[in-house]
Amino acid sequence: MTRRPRGLVRIGRLYMAGVLLFLYVPIFVMAAMSFNASRLYRLPIDWSVTWYVALAGNEKLIDAALNSVWVALVTTVLATVLGTAAALAFFRYSFPGKRVMQLLLFPPIAIPWLIIGTAMLVFFFWIGVGRGLHAIVLGHVALALPYVVVVVSARLRSFDPNLEDAARSLGATPWQATRRVTLPSIAPGLVAAGLFAFAVSFDQFVISYFLSAPGVTTLPVEIYTAIRKGFTPEINAASTIVIAVSMTLLMVVARFYRFGGER
Amino acid sequence: MAEVTVQGVSRYFGPTVALEDVSIRFADGGFYGLLGPSGSGKTTLLRLIAGFDFADTGHIAIAGEAMEDRPVEKREIGMVFQNYALFPNMSVFDNVAFGLSVRGVARGELRRRVGEALELVQLTGLDRRRPQQLSGGQRQRVALARALVTRPRVLLLDEPLSALDKALRSEMQIELKRIQRDVAITTIFVTHDQEEALTLSDRIGILKDGRLVQEGAPHEVYERPETVFTARFLGDANILSGRVRDGGIELADGTRVTSERSPGADGSAVTCAVRAEKILLQADEPGAAGDANALSARVQRHIFAGNSLTYLIDWGGETLKVFVQNRSGEVIPEGTSVCLSWAPRDTVLVAP
Amino acid sequence: MRLTAQAGRVKRGRDRLAAVAALTGPAYLWLALTVFLPLSAMFYFSFLSDVPFGKRVAELTLENYAAFFQESFYRTLMLRSFRLGAEVTFYCFLFGFPCAYVLAKTIKGRWREALFLLIILPFWSNALVRVFSWTMVLRGNGVLETFVNWLVPGVGSLNLMFTYPAIVLGLVHSYIPYMILTCYLSLEAIDDSLIEAARSLGARRHAVLWRLVLPLSFPGILAGAILIFVPVVGSFMEPRILGGRAGTFIGTIIEDQFTAVFNWPLGAALSFLMLGFVLLILLFVAPLARRAA
Repeated sequence: MTRRPRGLVRIGRLYMAGVLLFLYVPIFVMAAMSFNASRLYRLPIDWSVTWYVALAGNEKLIDAALNSVWVALVTTVLATVLGTAAALAFFRYSFPGKRVMQLLLFPPIAIPWLIIGTAMLVFFFWIGVGRGLHAIVLGHVALALPYVVVVVSARLRSFDPNLEDAARSLGATPWQATRRVTLPSIAPGLVAAGLFAFAVSFDQFVISYFLSAPGVTTLPVEIYTAIRKGFTPEINAASTIVIAVSMTLLMVVARFYRFGGER
Repeated sequence: MAEVTVQGVSRYFGPTVALEDVSIRFADGGFYGLLGPSGSGKTTLLRLIAGFDFADTGHIAIAGEAMEDRPVEKREIGMVFQNYALFPNMSVFDNVAFGLSVRGVARGELRRRVGEALELVQLTGLDRRRPQQLSGGQRQRVALARALVTRPRVLLLDEPLSALDKALRSEMQIELKRIQRDVAITTIFVTHDQEEALTLSDRIGILKDGRLVQEGAPHEVYERPETVFTARFLGDANILSGRVRDGGIELADGTRVTSERSPGADGSAVTCAVRAEKILLQADEPGAAGDANALSARVQRHIFAGNSLTYLIDWGGETLKVFVQNRSGEVIPEGTSVCLSWAPRDTVLVAP
Repeated sequence: MRLTAQAGRVKRGRDRLAAVAALTGPAYLWLALTVFLPLSAMFYFSFLSDVPFGKRVAELTLENYAAFFQESFYRTLMLRSFRLGAEVTFYCFLFGFPCAYVLAKTIKGRWREALFLLIILPFWSNALVRVFSWTMVLRGNGVLETFVNWLVPGVGSLNLMFTYPAIVLGLVHSYIPYMILTCYLSLEAIDDSLIEAARSLGARRHAVLWRLVLPLSFPGILAGAILIFVPVVGSFMEPRILGGRAGTFIGTIIEDQFTAVFNWPLGAALSFLMLGFVLLILLFVAPLARRAA
């Protein structure tokens, strides 16, 4: 590697630090404020956990949080199963229209969620599905599917297809081979995909916003309504918890995906 | 009877001909080698017998049963893959037991049979290990045990020794032969290594460009190649061409050469092969003993390999090879005039 | 039963298609039900005068689309949204590309992975919460005001909330990791020896950057730009939270049609118009991408 002038490298590193600061400072500020007993966020911070305590009593937020978790769990299971099945099909077989089908997975990510969310609202109303948690699950699974397929497909790429052949040569039917050889082999990828789906669902706002029914919402939607109405300080606490949860989740995914997989 | 019959089998991949009208009968209990360069179709044929692919024409039968509509898992075969394909998330024991467990064999019998299989390949005691913790040779034994434990009718091996280093290869050659004899199972293996084919097989089938070129016992195929390709592919052969004259062959420079069998009609063109090790090299003047064939030429150079020497001989512009055992420890210097002589029966008539 | 080779082939082909259908069917049926059919339905709605539920009567009309062309209000908003998209994309590139470059070219080993993860992490977590966190910083008596006053005493009140810059800031914060990610992938793929070769031929640093690095990383930049531009044009959450009344864009208007005004056909028409314009821009850009590839 060529030696770069020390000064430039130092500037580069400083710049990176600056960017990281930019990305994280607001989050830390918000987290700090969540411990600030002052209702109007007066500085200096009056350290206290009163808002977290208040949170525990805020039924609306608690309900919304539970809804979020429930929806995310269901989404995870459904998206992982459906997505893995599709990924297996792409891995194992070649068939006419495969390319097109792979492309069709991407509209949920490519089209602005505003449009997809409103389209779902309109359509579900029309066919009588309506709004509510069930509708939200329908939407979240559709969003999570592409991610699951991509993650599982990536894992399958490093899977030796000879292993399935070997299993079949020993008398296993294709389904037995999948169940006993392929799936255990790609297990880390499945876990990563599942955690990803959970994160996508848990953090999803736009789709949940349009598909929420009065009184039945997810946590991000509830936070949004509270923000629009005026600040309730519990929101800070709730937001801090949310971001802590999703960041932790994603760190776990990263470890699993990189180290559980390639090693 | 676990005889395998392949009849008139062809396989095409679009415009490419992978196999064309191949027919072989693999006798029950035999150790059969399919030999050929890459692209010859040998692996395709193996996969057709295994059931991973299906022929475009012809029939394949195992123990008399037609295999046209049988998927691989119903063919009762055992297969060892080139990279062994051991299940990485299972222990050695579970790998070997796999075939039995998908058949629903009871725990007790399963354990017994796995133990037997591991003993057969001399790997007892390693059943708790994972494939990643084993050496190449050990992995191959596990793959073998796994394939044999289900008592298949046919054992298929894809380039079984290619991944091993030289020392291991010689050892495994003996091992494979021993195991195959013990189990007495019809075994078909595929290789591009002629030494492997010659040492392991009871019978060899040579494939080139999707066609079966020659078939027979190793000794037979080696001593009596039928084409130039076969002669060159197995060992070193010198190819001489000429015309038939008075029941013998007249070469380009007028030298007369005889063979054991009649070379055909007078005046017709003929090609023959003489193996490098069949030739006697003498530094004296031509004095062919009896009815031996003799050629005068000049030593171009030599390659010393310790226990043997390969001489490259310049004969009227063409280069001939002579393979000489290092008995005297002496080397015939470059430029020496020499006489090459060999017995008539070592002049093998081959198709061009 | 003994099948001929041909019949066997046909049967196997059919079995294969059946397996594919079984494996991919559920996922695609789900997508059809939740994405493709709804989009088609909404497209249909955009041509109706009213929603066709209950007792309402709906007839086909082009009124909704016409409204866009007749009232300059919508056009202004659409332009404003596209301008926002362009600005945010530009800033993301301006600040994100150097970051990606530093990460890809100067930092090696475990640090690189760790930093990469740190950059991606906030991006993948809750967007709403992140936007909200900015309100803590930007508001009057907020952290920013306090910090600036501490640095340069006497600046006084600094309330950036409910301004256009606040929206841009929040959006850049949300989407810059996209640009960093795609540029990083592109830059990583550039062989170090290419840069060394250029320098050995006498190229100065800025020439190397301008004539070698930027063109080679163009696919990554373009990918990032598209990934940022499209959502930003349609954003409504960030403008509302950070912009208040100054935060009116086509996205917020569309949202209004569905949640406040309940003029769904108009909302549908506006959505597809927005989508249409975005596609037009992408079509413009596609030949550029092909040339770069």
